[in-house]
Amino acid sequence: MKSVLKFIVWLCVAVAGAGALATIALHRGEPLNATWFVVAAVCCYMVAYRLYSAFIAARLLALDDTRATPAEIHDDGRDFVPTNKWVLFGHHFAAIAGPGPLVGPTLAAQFGYLPGTLWLILGAAVAGCVQDFIILFCSIRRDGKTLGQMAREEVSARGGFIAQIAVLAIMVILLAVVALVVVNALKSSPWGTFTLAMTIPIALLLGVYLRFIRPGRVLEASLFGVALVLIAVVAGQWVAASPSWAQAFTFGGVSLAFIIIAYGFAAAVLPVWLLLAPRDYLSAFIKTGAIFSLAAGILFVRPHMMMPPLTRFIDGSGPVFAGKIFPFCFITIACGAISGFHSLISSGTTPKMILRESHARSIGYGAMLLESFVGVMAMVAACAMPPGIYFAINSPASIVGGTPDAAAATISSWGYHLDAQTMTNLAHSVGEQTLLNRAGGAPSLAVGMAQIFSNTIGGDRLLSIWYHFAIMFEALFILTVLDAGTRVGRFMVQELGGRVWKPLGRTGWMPGILLSSAIIVGLWGYFLHQGVVDPLGGINSLWPLFGIANQLLAAVALVVATTILLKMKRLRWIWVTLAPMAWLVAVTMTASYQKIFDANPNLGFLSKASALAAQIAAGQIPAAKIAETHRLIFNQRLDAAVTGVLALMILVLLVEALAQWYAILSSRREAVLHEAPYVATKWAEGFTGAAHGDD
Amino acid sequence: MRRVAKFAKRSLGRFWRGLREWCGDASYERYLRAKGRQNAEQRTLTPEEFYVEQINRRYSRPNRCC
Repeated sequence: MKSVLKFIVWLCVAVAGAGALATIALHRGEPLNATWFVVAAVCCYMVAYRLYSAFIAARLLALDDTRATPAEIHDDGRDFVPTNKWVLFGHHFAAIAGPGPLVGPTLAAQFGYLPGTLWLILGAAVAGCVQDFIILFCSIRRDGKTLGQMAREEVSARGGFIAQIAVLAIMVILLAVVALVVVNALKSSPWGTFTLAMTIPIALLLGVYLRFIRPGRVLEASLFGVALVLIAVVAGQWVAASPSWAQAFTFGGVSLAFIIIAYGFAAAVLPVWLLLAPRDYLSAFIKTGAIFSLAAGILFVRPHMMMPPLTRFIDGSGPVFAGKIFPFCFITIACGAISGFHSLISSGTTPKMILRESHARSIGYGAMLLESFVGVMAMVAACAMPPGIYFAINSPASIVGGTPDAAAATISSWGYHLDAQTMTNLAHSVGEQTLLNRAGGAPSLAVGMAQIFSNTIGGDRLLSIWYHFAIMFEALFILTVLDAGTRVGRFMVQELGGRVWKPLGRTGWMPGILLSSAIIVGLWGYFLHQGVVDPLGGINSLWPLFGIANQLLAAVALVVATTILLKMKRLRWIWVTLAPMAWLVAVTMTASYQKIFDANPNLGFLSKASALAAQIAAGQIPAAKIAETHRLIFNQRLDAAVTGVLALMILVLLVEALAQWYAILSSRREAVLHEAPYVATKWAEGFTGAAHGDD
Repeated sequence: MRRVAKFAKRSLGRFWRGLREWCGDASYERYLRAKGRQNAEQRTLTPEEFYVEQINRRYSRPNRCC
């Protein structure tokens, strides 16, 4: 009787999910309510978790709770710490949830809400969650080894090297693109710049408190810090209202880029307890609070989708970024559906803290579902505003014009009504001088979030406070990624450089620290500067590069997972990782080819370089701008070369993996698994950490 | 009524412990417990030393995603 009831409940969930998805896909005419998106996402996630993840856990991986995990075997209270399932879920989610699932769907909204939403939900269920879950499992079975180590052992030494280079490439491009998002959000915004600047002394204060006054008391320090940050958000309006203070905190794009580059260098060189760690604590609390508040706000307000399901820009002529729906919708969404970077977390801290193998299902698969839901919320926030406003905020001046009148005329000619006064009024109501040409996704997401929050609490009176709260929230955790990424990048440069010149590898040697920090900051700083001076807004070239690098890492992770499954003799179920891998390779290779060779100068790097060179040759560029144009040409060719190298790495890895799989399947090579030996757990069934005083 | 109060108290206690675990507040206590179980000969770190050592280790590998 109970099982029949269960079956009926799950059938209802599945029908509700399918019905909501069908409504999103087929509804035309009146704007659709956001509740459909929430119902579709939640029901699909529930079904995917209940059925697909259970299938993977039982049939594919055969999770074994009698087997001791690395946390039990090596329990040292430092790296290997047996941790309660839900606490570790929180840790893992906080680590994987970055700006990607917020910015990606916001940018992809230029195609309309339909393609992005479908990919967010389905892509996560069949690709992203699968990757995170299986890599976590593989790492648990190998004493918490990293993706690079597993690639080296299970695929080939070259596979391990490609993984290492892919991580460095993704790090450099990721840091540049997220820094560009911050620059575009804070450009000519004294309120936003002041608020974010204030987080630095607040973090320093927290750092000193946590180091000397109450060592390790993170909770009390963070709550105090969050209160100070919220005061800074409110105080920002007085700064913006004072002419002299406003002038002191108003910067152009290039100046902001150099400030952020200097900040990144300082964060990488300063002791980690002083700035990086306290900022991360602040960011984790504010990020978690803002994400859950946004979910509650969407459920409370239930906004209508003003964006159509599909826009005219699916043909590749989009103003936010160029390129057709395939492959660029999938490249752009990135982290909300599948992210290679997650495999570094799944083979980093999490496998060393997991209590039981079966917890890998809820942590690996479940946390990624929640990340996908964050992406769906970002899509709702972006599509709930009128499309005219969305395009005015996200399009570069070279496409829509730099004045409200010009932008209104251009965007209205596309069929998305916009009048100039609307943009001026909106900018004033959120306390900004202008919202035009703020490419990068952060300002439009902040407008969407502010509208949802102000409809929940405070009304129009608090719109400007909510807008700057949203900007602060996005910029704060982007800067945390920047701090942490620059520092990790520094270690990677030291590790690679140490092979060439030994002293550089010494992590405590100050000249080595300064040199390696300068190298990594110089690398992402160059791409950031390139994005800031790019007439197409930078996002057009850098975000696809980031997407390609991220998917490359995902392809590496899925190749490792497929190889391990083959060695485990799971040939029958190999499609679980093989299908998403094939899809990722197809998407990434098509995007790489188009970004390099497409004849449309807005899309192809080489054709853009040729078009600029032809303009110089034809004398169409003023003498004063020739040097700048030569730099733009060089940048386009550099981007083409970087994309080509990334694509080549995918091909090399694929050939390497195919040779390995052929050798295993044809019995030419023995399938040797590099799993740690089986050790039976000493913990009783149902143990949740109580013996350690955790429950 | 007493049962409800007891349940609420226990739930709040669990939430509080979970929150302290999640944000890292309870890391030093965990370290001391692990140290006690291992009977290791190494010197026990002070709270300050443990905090600095722990965050230095945590921020030397990818721990924040995109």
